[in-house]
Amino acid sequence: MEEQNLGRALSVAVADGDEAEAARLAGAALAAGIDPIVLVKDYLQPALEQVGDRFQEGELFLPELVLAGDAAKAALDVIKPRLLAAGGAGEIANKVVIGTIQGDLHDIGKNVVGALLTAHSFQVVDLGTDVTPKQYVEAAEREGAQIIAISSLLTTSLPYHEDVIRLLCETGRRANHFVIVGGGPVNPEWATQIKADGYGRDARDAVLLCQTLVSQHAKPPLAQPLCFGALK
Amino acid sequence: MSSPDIIEILERTRTGESCAVKDWDVRRIPKAVRSMLEKHNLRHCCDPTNPVNCDDSLADAFFRAGYELALELGMLCETTERVVRVSEEELASALKFAPSELFVGSGKDGTLLKTRTPSDPYPMPFGASLGITVSEEIWPALTEGIARQRDVDLLEGGSLATVYGRPVLPGTPFETLVGYVQGRAHREIRQRAGRPGMGGIGCISSVTEYGQLGGYGVPGGFYPTDLSLVLFPSELKISYQALHKVVHTLNMNGLIIAGSPAMIGGMPGPPEGAVLSCIACSLLQYPILHAHVGGGEIYDLRYLSNVNREGLWALSVTHQALSRNTHLLTHGIANEVSGPGTEALLLEILVGVATIAVSGAALSTGPRSAGGKLTDYLTPLECRFCGEVGHAASGLSRAQVNEIAKAILPRYEGQIKNPDKGRPVSETYDLKAMRPTPEWEAIYRKVKREAIDLGVPMDDQC
Repeated sequence: MEEQNLGRALSVAVADGDEAEAARLAGAALAAGIDPIVLVKDYLQPALEQVGDRFQEGELFLPELVLAGDAAKAALDVIKPRLLAAGGAGEIANKVVIGTIQGDLHDIGKNVVGALLTAHSFQVVDLGTDVTPKQYVEAAEREGAQIIAISSLLTTSLPYHEDVIRLLCETGRRANHFVIVGGGPVNPEWATQIKADGYGRDARDAVLLCQTLVSQHAKPPLAQPLCFGALK
Repeated sequence: MSSPDIIEILERTRTGESCAVKDWDVRRIPKAVRSMLEKHNLRHCCDPTNPVNCDDSLADAFFRAGYELALELGMLCETTERVVRVSEEELASALKFAPSELFVGSGKDGTLLKTRTPSDPYPMPFGASLGITVSEEIWPALTEGIARQRDVDLLEGGSLATVYGRPVLPGTPFETLVGYVQGRAHREIRQRAGRPGMGGIGCISSVTEYGQLGGYGVPGGFYPTDLSLVLFPSELKISYQALHKVVHTLNMNGLIIAGSPAMIGGMPGPPEGAVLSCIACSLLQYPILHAHVGGGEIYDLRYLSNVNREGLWALSVTHQALSRNTHLLTHGIANEVSGPGTEALLLEILVGVATIAVSGAALSTGPRSAGGKLTDYLTPLECRFCGEVGHAASGLSRAQVNEIAKAILPRYEGQIKNPDKGRPVSETYDLKAMRPTPEWEAIYRKVKREAIDLGVPMDDQC
């Protein structure tokens, strides 16, 4: 009973975007002896998925989505050591570093993708905007991220996408990370041209793309990018 | 007390209240917008079944709430993470002394922007195109094709994909170069098109301030009688990038057109919240960015468009609120998603541009063919149609345009999420003969005939 009460309260705190309460409840749940894997699978992830669905339906908006992601991260930070000790690394194994590429300060699309990925159980490291190729690569290495997600609204910044991949190749790290691209002027042809591993037209496509990349056995780089949501 | 001068604004970007960008985005904006909607009883009033608002009292209520929001929030300088606020006296003064008329360009080719009100018979001027990326090889001919359209009043043109074959990377000297190259080309193109005094808008090919510094108001570049484009981040944020452009334009004794979209579904939340944010942002552009023409743009985050029902409603309320309660020269954009060669693009233009024109905007620019996502997906023909609709729909009643929107929307709204990208200019327009392909022209004539039948007084013979 206590497990259910604490778990539900944690779900509510995450859905409400209450960072402090989510962290407190996560600690209380662990102290009450609740299995950290159960906590993540039965309460944290469903709460986030529900927020993500309501955003897609237009019932919630971007601030709620971002704050729910922050609350989940706060809870996960508390749960993580116990989760790893309990053999639950698989629940939080998928990590994405995301950012808007150099020269581009638009962050809304990147924020939506980051928040929806969080809502689908990815650990998201947000590098912000105007991110240089070197910063992507260093962050991906430091964080052990499977995926580098590059967002752009400006056509003029597209050449920097290629520079990320070039830098990975030059430093012998291309096999460590999938590179995916998205944003207004990005399309499947561009992803193919620069030898990226994937393209998603909108945030939902980006989630599908990341889920597909981490669930398959292939390693980067892919011979052809996986593309979701290409225009007619 | 008078409106703050630019020195004072710059000072406030250093000394204003400290606020992190994230806190501004996900806490301050949503909270202030929610509470203002509540206070003015404006929640859940969006009516998608009537996409063009016809209720003056609703527009006025939004104006009052947006005005209060502007004073409460101010704008965040994201470079310094400081809030730039203005007092009520400063805001009132800036609005009072903002121009109600502005001549862009020169001589007989120039365009007079004038304060308009809803259903104002003064034809709303139109500038084309938006910054859709265009290959360097075809950019001159395509831009000339746009300049030759007599219903296009101001020339912006597409964004150059490259300059001297090299990508125009943001923040690099290539931007300084492209500012000058584009400004010089604009002069030559307007001359070739027989409209040397036509007003221009620049510099769209450069994201950062370098393009403006390199090309606006300098000898051989964009004229100081052209509009200098100062885009800034949403919601209610400015940056040193934008302020560099402002200072440079003022130094050149030039004309500022500012703009930043409010996002439905973004930080201000529902359509009603985006309207409030957009009104506040439009008002603050005058004291803070010293705008001559202020942007009132709204996009729906789900589609990056505004030709859907909620987007049109938000556009209509915003421009009616501003044009009924101020003499500001406001600017609106219809953000289409379908591409050249498709009927859907022209239908989206018809509904979107007519909504802006009839709601009292002083200027509109467009089109955003194929959502602006694809290189070379732009032709002079849809630019012309934008101008024709903008001019012809201006004097219609809002109720008429609402009925047009209701009749046309079902034809394309199902495809907004997955629009037809159409075909590039090479397949839809002969840039040597300067005419559309017969197929594209036939689609244009069909939609134009429909518009006329629906009551838009366009000349069918042209």
